[in-house]
Amino acid sequence: MSTSPSRRILVGVGNAGVTVLDLLSVEYPGMTGLLAVNNDPDSLNASIVRDKIEVPEGDPGEGFRMIDEEFGRIVEGASVVILCGGLGGETGSFLLSALAIRAKSAGLTTMACVGMPFSFEGKHKKDLAVRALEKLEEICDAVVVIGNDQLSSGSPSIAAVGEAFALSDRTLLAALLALTGMLSTSGPVKITRADIHNVLGKPGTLTHFGFGKAEGSNRLHESLERALKSPLLTLPGKGSALKESSMILLLLRGAKDISFAEVQAVVGKIEQIASDSCQIKVGVRADGPIGSALELYLLASSGGTIKKPLKNSESNQTGEPSGADSANNPISRIGTMATIGTKLPQPTGEEEMPSGHSEGGKGADELFPVQTKPASKSGKKVAATSKQMQGTLALDTYQRGRFDKSEPTIVEGEDLDVPTFLRKGIKLNPPIRK
Amino acid sequence: MANEQIFVGLEIGTTKISVIVAEARADDQISILGVGETPSRGVRKGEIVDMETVTECVREAILDAEDKTNVEIGNVWVAITGSHLASFNNRGSLALPGERQIEPEDLEAVEVNAKEVAIPTPNTFLHTILQAYHVDGNQNVIDPLKSEGALLEADFHIVHGIKTRIHNTLRCIESLKIGIEDVVLSSLASAQVVLSQDQKNYGALMIDIGGGTTDYLVYIDGAIRHSGVLALGGDHITNDISVGLRLPIARAELLKIEEGSAADAAGSQGGIISLKNDPRFLGCDVDRTSLETIIHLRVKEIFELIRRDIESSGEGMLDLIRGVMITGGCSKLKGIAQVAEEIFDIPVELTRARNVSGATQIFEDPQYSTAIGLTKYARLVTKNIAPESMIDRLTQGLGNLFKKRSP
Repeated sequence: MSTSPSRRILVGVGNAGVTVLDLLSVEYPGMTGLLAVNNDPDSLNASIVRDKIEVPEGDPGEGFRMIDEEFGRIVEGASVVILCGGLGGETGSFLLSALAIRAKSAGLTTMACVGMPFSFEGKHKKDLAVRALEKLEEICDAVVVIGNDQLSSGSPSIAAVGEAFALSDRTLLAALLALTGMLSTSGPVKITRADIHNVLGKPGTLTHFGFGKAEGSNRLHESLERALKSPLLTLPGKGSALKESSMILLLLRGAKDISFAEVQAVVGKIEQIASDSCQIKVGVRADGPIGSALELYLLASSGGTIKKPLKNSESNQTGEPSGADSANNPISRIGTMATIGTKLPQPTGEEEMPSGHSEGGKGADELFPVQTKPASKSGKKVAATSKQMQGTLALDTYQRGRFDKSEPTIVEGEDLDVPTFLRKGIKLNPPIRK
Repeated sequence: MANEQIFVGLEIGTTKISVIVAEARADDQISILGVGETPSRGVRKGEIVDMETVTECVREAILDAEDKTNVEIGNVWVAITGSHLASFNNRGSLALPGERQIEPEDLEAVEVNAKEVAIPTPNTFLHTILQAYHVDGNQNVIDPLKSEGALLEADFHIVHGIKTRIHNTLRCIESLKIGIEDVVLSSLASAQVVLSQDQKNYGALMIDIGGGTTDYLVYIDGAIRHSGVLALGGDHITNDISVGLRLPIARAELLKIEEGSAADAAGSQGGIISLKNDPRFLGCDVDRTSLETIIHLRVKEIFELIRRDIESSGEGMLDLIRGVMITGGCSKLKGIAQVAEEIFDIPVELTRARNVSGATQIFEDPQYSTAIGLTKYARLVTKNIAPESMIDRLTQGLGNLFKKRSP
């Protein structure tokens, strides 16, 4: 792959990353712009991904220096790079950050989809993963974090460990599809890179992610129900994580005949769950054949602080179509990044990384020393516009009740299963309990 | 008692399943022998969502009807509803070379032409109901078979719906080894007993508000001009009450029946309704005005939606409707007629099956309009069918289900 015809490149890093790309290739044959990067020749040889870079074994920093140029050449001409892999291993943790810096320095929008190790994999791995994640959050425009512990509630039995890892891979794949799907939305109902950055660009946040797929006449409700059931959308003891989110990204992908009424119904249901001030950004990609399954993805986050204040034009919540890709880059310090990027493999003491730590041809462990908290450069919150009010009663008490399982009654774009008085915002006197 | 004079109507409703056994009398009147019924489970908004449960309920209702009437039920006429049903009017035309007398085959051919319109692929035709024939531009020719002409045209009201959902209903009944005479649009069945011929001629809107759906039909000049199904009904009112007043569904349903009123809450007597506690419910006091507000807003909205749908389906159609007839279980709600009058601005009447005899407590209840209507429809259709096509129907069985028959 000397030049990339594709505008976005998905890079699977380490064993987990390569597995995810393989799953992707099986599910979506013919997908282009995939690149597998690993230092395990067996993993690369077994992979069905066409373009591969083998990192020489041994010291990861040294290894990266050997492939830096080749990687740079491959991503040249692309506009978005999405890195995917598991954190915690020495290879993945180091390479993901190094490749992110490289892509960022080339002026590309850089995103990452990463899995955090299971607790049973040990504290060392966990620490390494946490430090790598902090670094990635500093560098990338958006990071989706999949906590493996959250996926399989409790500790899996030994027999189920293989299944737990497989679930982790499948979830990473879904997250990758969510990001690429959102980036490929166009037209009046789309999600912009600025939207993704707003939701996933803050260090220290918890990513909330859910996805569901269903077909048939009730595809909408089934897929939404599955998505909402995702363990990554649940906060222990608090219920739905969507309540804590100030902005939710919703992607619907499926058949050409997805109607606005259907989109409206999903948004309505999410609005009922989300907080009043939450903004829901919707992207629809309806290009599948009629009758194909509907895929529904939800991405949100909570906690954390915004990394850097966005320029006004970029923080524009209306999701204005962006201009040139590099111009749309929300990171204002691209110049500095470029300097770091080129310097990265050099074992100099000079350091300009935001986290302020030495880099070089040392073990990954040394590469990610315990950081001070990522400096919250600004206390500025993402400006969230208020979602449409549906009524004066608290909507969180409302459930579809008996209509939950049935096809919604949507007329003229309104979900008529929602009580009329709620939709019209009529205030009622509450009952008095005896 | 010759068996072909017995007709059985089966309505699988959202609230209940009713089986009406009726006998056609010599004067064409329908005499009701009895009704079998069971509360419905596994039906949402008029459509089957749980086949197994519904099948069991239908079996119970049929057994109940057999017990009460001493009639062994072999074949039934089935009502069908659901928001997947759609309708439109279309004209078919047929050139008659050499200006000749119109033959019965021409009438069939013109109907085939009228059906040559694209409906969504998953759909199938349910009814093609004749509105009027025109010969060489002469409108409303009553008997085209006696006329000569060069061009035969015919207007039809065409109803179609999703094949698989219609089949769900059929499969459920067939699995009980019961034969199906035909499937009939619910509102078309109700209209047979709710509207008089005068009302059909004069211009009438019939609204059948049930538990899960509201079915409506417009007759003008004796022909059906419009039909529609809204997947909204009494269940929505109950759910609204349950949400608004934070009551369990069963308690909300009871409150709707006992105290509910659709009238504008501005004229409410106000005050408090005290709900006693029972083992499953902690009592509470609810505000009457709030209850009436909830119901009024929903009922008003249903009528507004119907009005808008009629307005958009044919210019001036609304002006040709001289009266609104409301039936169905939900028509028993207090104050509902006033709300309809407010929205349609024409006289409104609450109604039920008429011109039938037999067990009065059955036909006087508007919730049986559809099931009774099925038996009347059956009578009208079978009477009009020539003997040979009767044999066709018997030999072709279900294949002939969607054949047009317009009572």
